Amino acid sequence: MHIASYLSSLMQMSRLVKKSPSVCTDLPLNSSDVCNKLRLMKELLKSSYGPTARLKQVHNNIGGAVVTTSTSSVLLQAISSSHPIVSLIKGSILNHVSRFSDCGLFASVFCLSLIEEAGRCDLSKNVIIRVNKHLLSLCTAHLQQEDCGCKVQLDFCSSQSLITLARSVISSKPTCVLSEPESAHISRLAVQAFLLTVPCNIPDKVRLGRTVTIPMEGHSVLESAVFPGLLLDTPENISLGNLCSPLRMVLFSASLAGDLSELGDGRIEVHQGVDTDSQIVDQLLELGKQVLKDEVKLFVCQKVIHPVLQHYLRCNGVIVIERLGISLMEPLIQLTGAQPVATLHTTVPWEAYGEVHVSVRPFGSKTKLHLHPAGKTTICTMILCHRNETMLSELKLVCQKTEHVLRLTLREPCALLGGGCTETHLAAYVRHQSKNDVSESSPVLGCSQTEYLLAAEAFCRSLESVATSLEHDDGASLIDLTHAHHWTLPSDATEEHLEDAAALCGCGVVQSCQNKKWSYLNTEYAEFSPEPLLTASPLQPTVLDSFTAKVNALEVAVETANLVLDVRYVIQDVN
Amino acid sequence: KMVPLEQLHLSHVLQAVSALESIVLRSFGPEGGQVLFTRDTGQVMVSRSGKRILTALHLDHPLARMVVRCVWKHSTITGDGSKTFVLLLASLLRIIHATATKDPHMFQPHNSTEASEAATARHLADRLLEFALTELDKLIVLNVLPHGFRVSLENFTAKTQHDLSCQTLLVSFFRTRLGYAYCDFFRNLFCELLSHWKVKDDRPSFSMQFLNNSFLALHTQVSGVPVSCSRLIEGQVIHRDFATPCPQVRKQPLKGDVLELRCGDKVTEDRGIVHFSSWTEKSVESIIATLQSFGVSVLLCALKQSSAVLAAATQAGMCLVECVSEEEISLFTQLSGVTPISDCRRIHPEHIATLTFCKPLLLGAHRRISSIVIYCTTFCLVICAPSEGQADQHACAFQDAFRMLLTALEPVRKTQTALEETIPSKKCTSLHADNKCVTETGCVISAGGTFEFLLHHALHQYGHSCSVSVNLLEKALLSVPRQIYSHNLKHFLQAQTRVVALIPKQPHALSANFIHTEGPLGDGKLLDLGLESVSCKYQLVLAVLQCLTNLLRINMVLRTHAVLHTESHDSLNAHSESSEGEDED
Repeated sequence: MHIASYLSSLMQMSRLVKKSPSVCTDLPLNSSDVCNKLRLMKELLKSSYGPTARLKQVHNNIGGAVVTTSTSSVLLQAISSSHPIVSLIKGSILNHVSRFSDCGLFASVFCLSLIEEAGRCDLSKNVIIRVNKHLLSLCTAHLQQEDCGCKVQLDFCSSQSLITLARSVISSKPTCVLSEPESAHISRLAVQAFLLTVPCNIPDKVRLGRTVTIPMEGHSVLESAVFPGLLLDTPENISLGNLCSPLRMVLFSASLAGDLSELGDGRIEVHQGVDTDSQIVDQLLELGKQVLKDEVKLFVCQKVIHPVLQHYLRCNGVIVIERLGISLMEPLIQLTGAQPVATLHTTVPWEAYGEVHVSVRPFGSKTKLHLHPAGKTTICTMILCHRNETMLSELKLVCQKTEHVLRLTLREPCALLGGGCTETHLAAYVRHQSKNDVSESSPVLGCSQTEYLLAAEAFCRSLESVATSLEHDDGASLIDLTHAHHWTLPSDATEEHLEDAAALCGCGVVQSCQNKKWSYLNTEYAEFSPEPLLTASPLQPTVLDSFTAKVNALEVAVETANLVLDVRYVIQDVN
Repeated sequence: KMVPLEQLHLSHVLQAVSALESIVLRSFGPEGGQVLFTRDTGQVMVSRSGKRILTALHLDHPLARMVVRCVWKHSTITGDGSKTFVLLLASLLRIIHATATKDPHMFQPHNSTEASEAATARHLADRLLEFALTELDKLIVLNVLPHGFRVSLENFTAKTQHDLSCQTLLVSFFRTRLGYAYCDFFRNLFCELLSHWKVKDDRPSFSMQFLNNSFLALHTQVSGVPVSCSRLIEGQVIHRDFATPCPQVRKQPLKGDVLELRCGDKVTEDRGIVHFSSWTEKSVESIIATLQSFGVSVLLCALKQSSAVLAAATQAGMCLVECVSEEEISLFTQLSGVTPISDCRRIHPEHIATLTFCKPLLLGAHRRISSIVIYCTTFCLVICAPSEGQADQHACAFQDAFRMLLTALEPVRKTQTALEETIPSKKCTSLHADNKCVTETGCVISAGGTFEFLLHHALHQYGHSCSVSVNLLEKALLSVPRQIYSHNLKHFLQAQTRVVALIPKQPHALSANFIHTEGPLGDGKLLDLGLESVSCKYQLVLAVLQCLTNLLRINMVLRTHAVLHTESHDSLNAHSESSEGEDED
């Protein structure tokens, strides 16, 4: 003990200002304080999981905006790291979410359950780490197999499964406050927008287009829509009466406000009496003349256009759009084929001109200029409407996540059964496999057979606890003992009435029938090998999860838990 | 005003080193784990490397900082052994302290007990170092090397599973750094990288030295993906996005290396500002035109370029990467043999290299697209982990593996002849061994304390004819295997018996009688401890003894107050540690 106190006297920052010594914790996972913190974090995230999640309000102590959410990325960022272990887990999950946009809560609940279960069973941490690693490879190998019971091949010929996938993502975020028809509408729009960004004629390399999202507050969700092409704000009331489509357009990336260009470090000496402003305006008007001569009808600039030039162009019947912003530049270049002009002094080259169809679309109180190309395009615009700002910002976030999840299907065209069925299926599979290979695996992993089975049981219980987390209304979670799917039983029903209370399993593929056997998820049941579903099943899954995101989340969760379990000492800089 | 004086006693030194030992022990040995850190910036870091743990501590005590500095120096060279360093040092200090307090007037009578304790301790340490510098290598060559066997660089890259020793050496190294979970995975990755970079050169360690030096530019850390996604990718990764659209051309683009694109000083004439800016635009265009005439289609720039330059490059169909780091430029120039352009008006063919391809690459969570530029058979390493701290840990372990191997391939008796001339052995009877001992390179021995047991035994035999100081080292050495088997004393005794039982045979040929500590030990538990390098171990013992001598020569700490702006940049020197050795003799 005296060593520890002596150590803190040794530790000081090597700076001029004396700082408080670091705080050291020996064997952090044995301390009840750390365990309580982790349990609290798990409860918080668990209650935010799934479509019936309890929402969280995040507000800071200095009166910032109040955020209502159940999204892992927002929640985790809001958790101020009171302990290094918490921030370690947080960092891993946030990294996963920023890359895959989905399954963040799954990963965090699973990871925290693994740590908790490991603390409960009295095994050496090294054994648990090795067994976890082994079981993880068992799971991923099973998921990669063709005949895996919880995997669904996506059929790109019909949009049905894509819509189901999109809908599962959208309905798992209850903050959007969407009714059934509304979430169906948004799911359809998300899939439509995704399909528009996939190019039709594929060259040697597929390059996906972009969806530009425009949020609009105060309209009904059902008014949301997707358009091919781009919608831009119109500068004023314009009439396109005498303009024939398609129009020739030019795009400037350089500022046309009359400021000096930023190139070169040369020294500038200006003689007295020289009017630099008028010189620059003259130069700009020269540009305008050339553009008019080349029959340009649409003039777009990323930055500001000098009012004199604007006036001159408008008087000559050109539509002028300024301050486009950097984010719309790339889609506009792709849409029109115009190369942006960055120089003012050379004549505008021919490649700088593009062609585009223009029409005017009134949208609520606003009028938008709709640009769409003559041929096919991979650029589309999604107008999202919702009743108030909070719901709208969450809806926008959810749509971006959905787009990301849909794009992931291009890499691996499959999905996993949702509603907790994948978790229960994997748990049953792992339990069965570990019983079978115990005699081969335990010597390889350097542990006894009992240790191996205990650690495997902890792994399976953690998986099942993720499935249980989906239920928030005091209902019971069950597993059927044939297909190992997940079922929920409302709190007012008993097990005998399960056939009536829950007609379908979590993902909607298995129907309940008389001779099915169930077991509660937190109780022990005899291990069994989950039977594959009959291929001629008439039911389509109603809940699907992204395959790529979930497999990665599974791996990240186990690796993070293993890292945390391996921590023996914590040195915390509290300055 | 007097500078505050602080007398240093032997017990102070021991206390400081024991405190460091208590931290390091948590991640030592087969049951050791990770140490987790937070910086004051909130950054989280995990490590099992003693060097990183100790340097992250921000110590204020001058003695502790001195020890950390020694550990840092040692492990930067050898890449390994930092925890054993602290352990051995603490153990030696403890034994010396015990000896000195028991018999303070061993060498000279002093008026105060403390002074004579210090003198005794110093004397013992000096004798130990002297012994180590003159005799230790011979002892190791005679008593330890026969039980080990040789590895060479060729073995690492060999595809056959015939000789597993080098693979085992790497596995053991990665296990001490990254734990059981990933050691095999990183071993394979390491061997793969090495075999790709194998240069047909007469010096085998050449490619390894090169990889070690340019490791910073050669690897990319990616967070948010599982560790198993770590891999090798073809080409050199430039950690910057393309500033202009990437070319669709695949075959043979050329490349210029523009370091600075700047217009010279020119005073405008009376036609004013418009003229100036059009002139600068023209000069940019002329440079691009020159590059175009050479057929350049990829441009790497060390500096940020203006939008006009980017536009000009886009129009010329050139793809430009700006803000390329110095390390990457230097690696590129080494690989391609081109020289960077320093003056844009003079562009010559020697500035231009031919690439096989050049394409964007999506890596990592933060949409960091990197351009990949290939030149002949270049391979880059991508290290993945769920969190940044973990990726960083893996990268550090990878680099230390290079250092460890480089040290392992060094001969044990490199400095032998030079030493014998300068420091003639005095009292200790010189070994009557043949002086023509072969200098063995790349000798490895099974881990788990075999080296310590063997050296302990050798010192024990040797120590009969010699002074008390050698016995100290002999005792201290055993503390290392004692910690390895700290969870079970029975295993310690079993391992020692097993090693010592093999000694009398004294085999003469290498690899004839290699001692296995692997295999089931005790109650069916497999303790596969792998291999470690004898050369690393030898250097470790030397470094510890040098550090010990330095520590015991200090008798006083002066705490001075430095003036702010004369502060040294070295953070370890920030508080001037004006401690110096004073000879009382």
